[in-house]
Amino acid sequence: MDAPRIVLGVIGADCHSVGNKILDAFFTEAGFHVVNLGVMVSQDEFLDAAVESDAAAILVSSLYGHGLIDCEGLRQKAVERGLERVLLYAGGNLVVGKTPFEEVERKFKAMGFDRVFPPQVDLADVAAMLREDIEARRN
Amino acid sequence: MDGRLLLSVDIGSTYTKAGVFRLEGEELRLLGKAVRPTTVDDLGRGFAEARTAALAVPGLPPAVDPAAVPVYWSSSARGGLKIAAVGLTPDLTLSVARMAATSAGGKVVRAFSYELAADDIAELAAVAPDIILLTGGTDGGNSRVVLHNAARLAETRLPAVILYAGNRKVRDDVAALLAGRDLVTAANVMPEVGVIDIEPARDVIRRAFLESIVDGKGLSGVVAAAGGREPLPTPLAVFELVRRIGERVPGWEDFALIDMGGATTDFYSHTESFYGGDTILLRGLREPKLKRTVEGDLGLRVSAEALVRSESAFFESRLGPDTPDLLGLRAYVESVSRTTDHLPADDRGRRYDALLAAACVRASALRHAGTVQRVFTPQGGFEVQRGKDLGRIKALVGSGGYLAGLADAALLLEACAPDAADPDVRHLVPNAPACYADAEYLIPLLGNLAADFPDAAARAAVAGFKPLNAPTNRN
Repeated sequence: MDAPRIVLGVIGADCHSVGNKILDAFFTEAGFHVVNLGVMVSQDEFLDAAVESDAAAILVSSLYGHGLIDCEGLRQKAVERGLERVLLYAGGNLVVGKTPFEEVERKFKAMGFDRVFPPQVDLADVAAMLREDIEARRN
Repeated sequence: MDGRLLLSVDIGSTYTKAGVFRLEGEELRLLGKAVRPTTVDDLGRGFAEARTAALAVPGLPPAVDPAAVPVYWSSSARGGLKIAAVGLTPDLTLSVARMAATSAGGKVVRAFSYELAADDIAELAAVAPDIILLTGGTDGGNSRVVLHNAARLAETRLPAVILYAGNRKVRDDVAALLAGRDLVTAANVMPEVGVIDIEPARDVIRRAFLESIVDGKGLSGVVAAAGGREPLPTPLAVFELVRRIGERVPGWEDFALIDMGGATTDFYSHTESFYGGDTILLRGLREPKLKRTVEGDLGLRVSAEALVRSESAFFESRLGPDTPDLLGLRAYVESVSRTTDHLPADDRGRRYDALLAAACVRASALRHAGTVQRVFTPQGGFEVQRGKDLGRIKALVGSGGYLAGLADAALLLEACAPDAADPDVRHLVPNAPACYADAEYLIPLLGNLAADFPDAAARAAVAGFKPLNAPTNRN
């Protein structure tokens, strides 16, 4: 079985690159084939990369608080582009201010994201969930 | 002085040009040239006439045996090398497939993304490309669409060579689907998202041109006359010469060449596409250092009507909307697009030709160049670059019938005109380059010699460029 391919990037007008590099290194080490698009990535760029590489998941980072508006509609666009089965993960400082994380998670799930993560998270847990989700989606 | 004689011939769609060169040590010297009409019904005849005429120049030993002079040659006759590009997404594999096709000297006659439909196959049959470049998916990535497209192509027997340069994982499956067809394969043009690898496909296209297409272009008779030597597609000869000049001539690392004809305008650049920096980001594909674009709607004769349509805003800005002058231009264009060998007889015609040429230069530069857009982010102002930065181009050369005859730099400097349509977007066109004309029209001829004599051909080309002065104020 090939290493599962995942697309990684920081969405919108967000230039935070350090976390992106950490994620790239971590998931590569964890046995994923990472297609890293870097910072300031548009929705279309995520989707083009996922289509060409037949990715199992798209991992969207947002650190600057505008994640909600940047991620809106990504699921619908993915469906339109033939990516009905792609997993969508979001993580980071997704919303400005002191919104409780449960509220943020609810909003992103309502937009069609499969999993949502706060700024602090153990990446080993994320990798384990990702494997399980990919496996479940395959069957 | 002794030295080997070499003959270089370019068979264009209208004219066949020949030049005799002498290799003197490390230098190539032009001894004479000749131009004869291309004999479309039998390309070998015009070829032989041009060769005889070029070898009849004074200064050559009287008894030069034409058959003893090695011939290097290129051809763009009968429509040149026509390629249909098939990719998956328009901005990724299809975009890279176009790049591979134009870099190999081809003209992209049709481009398709996603699944080919029955209509698309009918369209392919109608345009009769020489090569169908089938790409899609990164290595190990999407295979569904490219397999669908291979199956579609298998349903209809098109006379084209099919070059598969897509997802490596399904190369064997594609070969099985297209068994019995004229199929060749190359490494994936985009093995990873954003990684461009077009050299292998370019190489296979060049070989396919020699092996399969030369006959169909009526060139096999010429191959025999040329002592068995096989031709290059003309734009590939130019592309390779531009590469040699950029790599080997000091001071010419960053330069561009515009080759404008009756039907198309080709823009070649040799310069890094992106320079980076703390506040500028590249989005989209990182374009190669050596790049060619070819514009089928920008030309002075065959394409003049298409030009006036696609660049209507330019003509209106220069002549005013609905002025008699604009109507005059339209009438002129209607007439010259039918009599393609027309040369203007009066000032008005010459002025219109200059305007058409200016539009071609300007539009071809704007389409070749990338853009920079200023964006404001919570972390401050950034610039986002898309496409290629031509800002460091130091020299700009005009080639082809019209541009070769330029008297000053004014017309070429149209390539540096900013497009003011959107104040937030800056086009990365050249910035005040030195301008030159390929006055001797040596570009394709020396391009043919560039593979065997790279340094000498590159130096001879630069030495032959005529420097153009800044325009004198005409008001």
